[in-house]
Amino acid sequence: MNFETVVGIEIHVEMKTKSKMFSLAPISFGLTPNTEVVALDIAFPGTMPRVNKEAVKNAIRVSNALHMHIDQEIWFDRKNYFYSDLPKGYQITQQARPIGSEGYLVINVDGKEKKIGIERLHMEEDTCMQHHFSDYTLLDYNRAGIPLIEIVSKPEIRSGEEARKYVEKIREIVTFSNVSDGKMEEGSLRCDVNVSIRPYGSDKFGTKVEIKNLNSIANVEKAIDYEARRQSELLLLGKEVEQETRRFDEAKKETVLMRKKTDAADYKYFTEPNIPPIRLSDEFVKDAIDTCPELYDEKLYRFLNNYKLNEVDAKILLASVEMADYYDKAAKFTSLYQPLANFMISEVNGYLNKNNLTISKFNIDPKFISELVELLQSKKINSSQGKQIFEKLVKENRSPLIIQKELGATLVNDEGTILKLVLEVLDANPTLRDDFKAGKTRTQGFVMGQIMKKTGGKVDPMIANKLILQELKK
Amino acid sequence: MKHILDLTIAEIHEALLEGKVTPLDLTKEALRRCKENKDNAFEMIIEEDALKKADELSKMPVPKDNFFFGIPYVAKDNFSTKGYETTASSNILNGYIPLFDASVIKYLNEAGAIMIAKSTLDELAMGGTGTTGHKGITFNPWDKSHTRLVGGSSAGSAVSVSDAIVPFALGSDTGDSVRKPASYSGLVGFKPTWGLVSRFGLFPFAPSLDHVAYFTRSVFDAAIATSLLSRHDENDSTSSYKDRPNYLNLDSSVKGKKIAVIKGIINSITDKHVLNVFDKSVNFLEKNGAKVDYIDFNADLLKAIYPAYVVISCAEATSNDANLDGIKFGPNYGGKSYQEVMFNARTKGFSALIKRRFVIGSYALMRENQNEVFLRAQKARRLIVDACNKIFESYDAIYCPAAPSIAPFINKTSENVSEDFMIADNWLAIGNFGGYPSITLPIGFENDLPFGANLICKPFDEINLFNISLKIEEGTGLKNLSYPKYMEEKEAK
Repeated sequence: MNFETVVGIEIHVEMKTKSKMFSLAPISFGLTPNTEVVALDIAFPGTMPRVNKEAVKNAIRVSNALHMHIDQEIWFDRKNYFYSDLPKGYQITQQARPIGSEGYLVINVDGKEKKIGIERLHMEEDTCMQHHFSDYTLLDYNRAGIPLIEIVSKPEIRSGEEARKYVEKIREIVTFSNVSDGKMEEGSLRCDVNVSIRPYGSDKFGTKVEIKNLNSIANVEKAIDYEARRQSELLLLGKEVEQETRRFDEAKKETVLMRKKTDAADYKYFTEPNIPPIRLSDEFVKDAIDTCPELYDEKLYRFLNNYKLNEVDAKILLASVEMADYYDKAAKFTSLYQPLANFMISEVNGYLNKNNLTISKFNIDPKFISELVELLQSKKINSSQGKQIFEKLVKENRSPLIIQKELGATLVNDEGTILKLVLEVLDANPTLRDDFKAGKTRTQGFVMGQIMKKTGGKVDPMIANKLILQELKK
Repeated sequence: MKHILDLTIAEIHEALLEGKVTPLDLTKEALRRCKENKDNAFEMIIEEDALKKADELSKMPVPKDNFFFGIPYVAKDNFSTKGYETTASSNILNGYIPLFDASVIKYLNEAGAIMIAKSTLDELAMGGTGTTGHKGITFNPWDKSHTRLVGGSSAGSAVSVSDAIVPFALGSDTGDSVRKPASYSGLVGFKPTWGLVSRFGLFPFAPSLDHVAYFTRSVFDAAIATSLLSRHDENDSTSSYKDRPNYLNLDSSVKGKKIAVIKGIINSITDKHVLNVFDKSVNFLEKNGAKVDYIDFNADLLKAIYPAYVVISCAEATSNDANLDGIKFGPNYGGKSYQEVMFNARTKGFSALIKRRFVIGSYALMRENQNEVFLRAQKARRLIVDACNKIFESYDAIYCPAAPSIAPFINKTSENVSEDFMIADNWLAIGNFGGYPSITLPIGFENDLPFGANLICKPFDEINLFNISLKIEEGTGLKNLSYPKYMEEKEAK
């Protein structure tokens, strides 16, 4: 390609605080419309904003994770415009003094680390949700006032892939710090992407096109790659790129025009007079950072070094913070860390996939998973017994030890008993010893099969194997 | 009994304690006067609920020192009152019934005060005449020929107290909306330090300048009200956390107090009688041990008060009233798009005067004008506040006539708008710029119409303010002034 792609990304993250940014209305997503609303959320005259402390803590935590400068004096501004989803006729945001400024995050591209600069991070409030119908629109104020953080990158992203990795990293930070669900498909993490192209070596920016309505990280990458191609085709044909807002059409895998950009809107910003500047103490900031839930990189380090897991498995467990948390809880009850990891990855994940569940819906006491892993590792049961117990466990959420007893799932591991069984088989099949000596290796398996058949598979296979060999050789 | 409502809160409280009167007697009489009043002062009279509450209170013992127990009062119609239509005298809010009480309404109700009416104001509290509400002109009760302004925007509340309907009325003060009408109607009008009294539930006009303020007929009553209303409120993020002193612990001493009179304001007043009477009150203060200096104040800054006030208040107002868009509030006249719905509601809902203010505010905030207009006004505000703070380094208070004249005629409000006149007519806004405590109190009469002076102290210096005001009140003897009482005494003479 003749052109370099230049991308800047604005990300809105919906926080999962208990209450809204400036009101005491509770937040619990997905309830009946207009039930999580107080007078302020509908802009009743005379209501006044109160800053949500938890939201400020969250903003500090994410700013810190993004290596940003944290402004210890919190200022809010009013962004004034009329729109049907905007209750007050203005949004309270942080225009002049964002809480976080001048940070970066590191992504990995082609095995190399790349720093992406981040211009600002600020707090603001969400608007209400609009449901459009053919001749009317319904407004749901449950969303109005939910705390948001907006993260604005510098135009230092150079491809769809880099953009995807950047968004993945942001998503990882906001989910691991427990700031947000970070679900793009549900709108709790929303991306607006600015794309322009320019000849390699140029230090000027081309005309930028904004892409909205991206509902998955994969689509961020696809949309940017498509848009860069579209723009370069235009330029190669001697046409111009126009400043406009486009959206990504998932079916066509294309960006399509939403509207031409006219002059940028004038939001008539001024300082919010109902919130005096809030001075954050050093302790408050330090405490917010110190009590931040463990982020991905720290967790990975701990999983590799404390649990001594192999890297592939550790990363599978860390694919979601909920899975990693579950593993952490289960690991409190055993020191068989790698077997526990294996069990989580194969058995638990298998169960979740089969039943189309996520780990957050897996209500089994992590202690029981550890007990089961211990049981399997101690050879007191075999793997098929293990599966049987697991099946009952996920239904009943009871101790595997009790389930084991009820099922009578034990292994015969007494050498005398097993020897007796071996001898019984050999006596019934007098040619076996000769077959073995003649080199028929299947003999060994045959004996094992017979024993298992007799006992219903309850014999410790290690001990049995040892005794079979010993007797065949005689 | 007939004159019991002509008394101050403190006196009525005594009468209640002595069993000379009951809350029910007071409320009945207040409602009667309310209905008899012809000054167009009320948006709504709350008869049934008021009588019910008064009846309940009358069966209870009167708690000593709870001065507001059983006291009928009136609230300006820009205070959110649960269950009672609140329109701020604007058509766009017709039919709006709030779901919650403003904090000050809550405090008053809890203390046993009885709200008997919501009073008229200049539409959305934007105005200083009392003529622009959706119910038309509110008249000055001192002029029964209805030719004079009572002033605004807290017009109906001023009428309620000066016509002796109630001894206390809530107002709001963004530029001088309580303190100016107080001057025109012979009342004490007090605006506490910004942040001292919660604004939660007060419909915002310009929050950085807005104050809850109130009318009483004595300085001590203003202190009584402050005792009740001044407290930290977590619903108002600008509410002060400072400990409140005992506002009733006053000695009216001015000995050794230093008081500054601003020459530029005095010089802009042409009414000799106003100046003479003011001088007398200054002499009285000096005689009682105060040191009064006539000081200079940068003339450009004095001239900047009014334009800075207009720019800042209109800019904030455009934003505060943006919620009134026909979607959540105001009649929905329909429209093909949300823009049309908003356009229709706002076109029909606001008077031309309000639209003019919104245009000014919007213009001031536009990107291309913001530096030259809005931020320049903010700078002027800061310079004016700095200049006042400088005065407060050497003086306890600033003291000047509250207005250049007695209440003006209704149809002649635009006369005399010379630059000089503008200073004396608008200087009270410095109290809002700096959030200073400020009180207007009557000092004299001209043709049987009262006029007042105003005192401003540094933030949170209410005690000093009340003490000096008590002394001025002692000097003028104009305590507990009301039109009916004044006329009666005049006739008796």
